[in-house]
Amino acid sequence: MRGWIILLAVVVVLAAAPLGLPLFMMTLLTEALILGLMAMSLDLMVGYTRLVSFGHAAAYGLGAYSAGYILLHSDTPVLFAVFIAAAMTGIVAIAAAWVFTLATGVSFAMLTLAFAQLLYAIAFQWQQVTGGSDGLAGIPRRGGPFGFDLLTSKIGYYYLVLLCLFGAYLFCRTLVNSPFGAVLRGIRENENKTRALGYNTRAYKIGVVAIAYALGGLAGALYAPFAGFTNTELLFWLFSGQALIMVIVGGAGTLIGPILGAALFLLAQHQLSSVTETWAIYFGLMFIAVVLFLPEGIWGTLMQRLGRKTQRV
Amino acid sequence: MAFLELDGLTRRFGALVAVDQVSMRVEQGEVRAVIGPNGAGKSTLFNLINGVLPASEGEVRFDGRRLNGLSAFEICQLGMSRTFQITALFPEMTARDNARLAAQARLGGRWRPFGGGAVFAEAERRADAALERLGLGHVAGEVAGYLSHGDQRLLEVAMALAQRPRLMLLDEPTQGLSVEETGKAVETLTELLSDGKLTVLLVEHDMEVVFRLAQRITVLHRGAVIADGTPDEVKADANVQSAYLGGFE
Ligand SMILES: Nc1ncnc2c1ncn2[C@@H]1O[C@H](COP(=O)(O)OP(=O)(O)OP(=O)(O)O)[C@@H](O)[C@H]1O
Ligand SMILES: [Mg+2]
Repeated sequence: MRGWIILLAVVVVLAAAPLGLPLFMMTLLTEALILGLMAMSLDLMVGYTRLVSFGHAAAYGLGAYSAGYILLHSDTPVLFAVFIAAAMTGIVAIAAAWVFTLATGVSFAMLTLAFAQLLYAIAFQWQQVTGGSDGLAGIPRRGGPFGFDLLTSKIGYYYLVLLCLFGAYLFCRTLVNSPFGAVLRGIRENENKTRALGYNTRAYKIGVVAIAYALGGLAGALYAPFAGFTNTELLFWLFSGQALIMVIVGGAGTLIGPILGAALFLLAQHQLSSVTETWAIYFGLMFIAVVLFLPEGIWGTLMQRLGRKTQRV
Repeated sequence: MAFLELDGLTRRFGALVAVDQVSMRVEQGEVRAVIGPNGAGKSTLFNLINGVLPASEGEVRFDGRRLNGLSAFEICQLGMSRTFQITALFPEMTARDNARLAAQARLGGRWRPFGGGAVFAEAERRADAALERLGLGHVAGEVAGYLSHGDQRLLEVAMALAQRPRLMLLDEPTQGLSVEETGKAVETLTELLSDGKLTVLLVEHDMEVVFRLAQRITVLHRGAVIADGTPDEVKADANVQSAYLGGFE
């Protein structure tokens, strides 16, 4: 109950943010929420199922390129485009996960990386569709019927992102507290035993990967019309690694933590990169410090201190 | 047709024949012990029965159904639950959550990605009943990894029981227990197995326990069956006497 009140308060504060913040801060906040959605989706795999992915940029990039392509080559409103792109990413992920789950542990992680690198190579080569090394530019935030035109403004788009993140959070929270989520925890702690208990663990893993990619794809799909462009960096392994760091710094297996981790990452990038070129080193140092001193991540440790083993909003 | 039938079941690891032409009939309601010296192939036999390993030859029929080619989770869904010789549970969950996840596996809504209140309630009911029967009611809320080794062994049995299995495979439930713990565990298991409702395949080293719990005993030696009968028949068997070098007493 207390958790719900806090959550509501946070959403109200975020919803009121445009009243008090200058426009450039709103841009930063929008990007933070998009990245937060990306990191949270990865947490379903890493934190709740212990399926470590080195290639979650694949989800983001696939969503971004799909949404960009749809918006550039049809008159689909942005609201529909992002959900179509997310669904497409999830469907592709089913096939990919079928392959990933032939392996476990580090090999699984390497396969996710290989898939992301494959998409990276395709994005470079398939000029007509992806724009090659230039990427897609001039992606419109197209409005549409029923007052969707509100979404074309920066503030309107911020609300769309906020709603998507909030909805995705509620969806994930429901998922991890469901019978399905209980099985994911079983897989996390002892996959062989879970299988011996009669669960088709591979099907559950494919399921959670597809969901994680669909939500990661949604994040990417929101990013493309937000930034107005896509490029191959969205599919680069560096971004996959950064997403993993956001999850771990914020606190794997908490959903909220990775969102904070993403916001922190973006803030560090924004603040430090103007001061020093080597800001990534400082963020790396912070990452090491968190791993050493706060193994549950920032949010995970906070929740433990507050006497709750797992956060139950 | 017997409830569980093994026919010429064989498993080779390279040149080693770990399970060698094993045939066996187990009736419903029977408690059957499988005994044999270390490395006789008992655990491997279990792995063949519940689909953890594929057989090199031979077949398993469970309630008239051929199990060849089914995987472990499918066989479990047919009503066969097992425990492992090396304790396998979810160490960071409470004992109750361990048993709950086991019970959930046999419920219709086990995969539901939302809600699930009714599934959880029924799973919890079955879990608590199973924990109670294994005398673990008082540690239900404790984290499984912190339980005593003895309670962990019994928790694994409780997890199998919470699945309401038609056949239970127990691989050395008293393995690695202190004398004291063994006494307590044997008492609990005796109570569980003597009501005649469960069909159980039991691997156990402690002969006293075996003779007390089992109606029939199958003796494995180097993968092959060397004797099969009532406890008295097996005790008197000359092959068994020599396999165990000096007999039981
Ligand atoms: N996966 C495997 N690969 C190779 N050899 C194996 C494998 N599993 C078992 N074995 C061998 O098969 C033989 C039978 O092993 P098994 O574990 O079935 O014996 P057991 O009767 O259960 O012994 P114990 O009483 O020690 O538990 C042993 O020689 C063992 O080394
Ligand atoms: Mg064994």
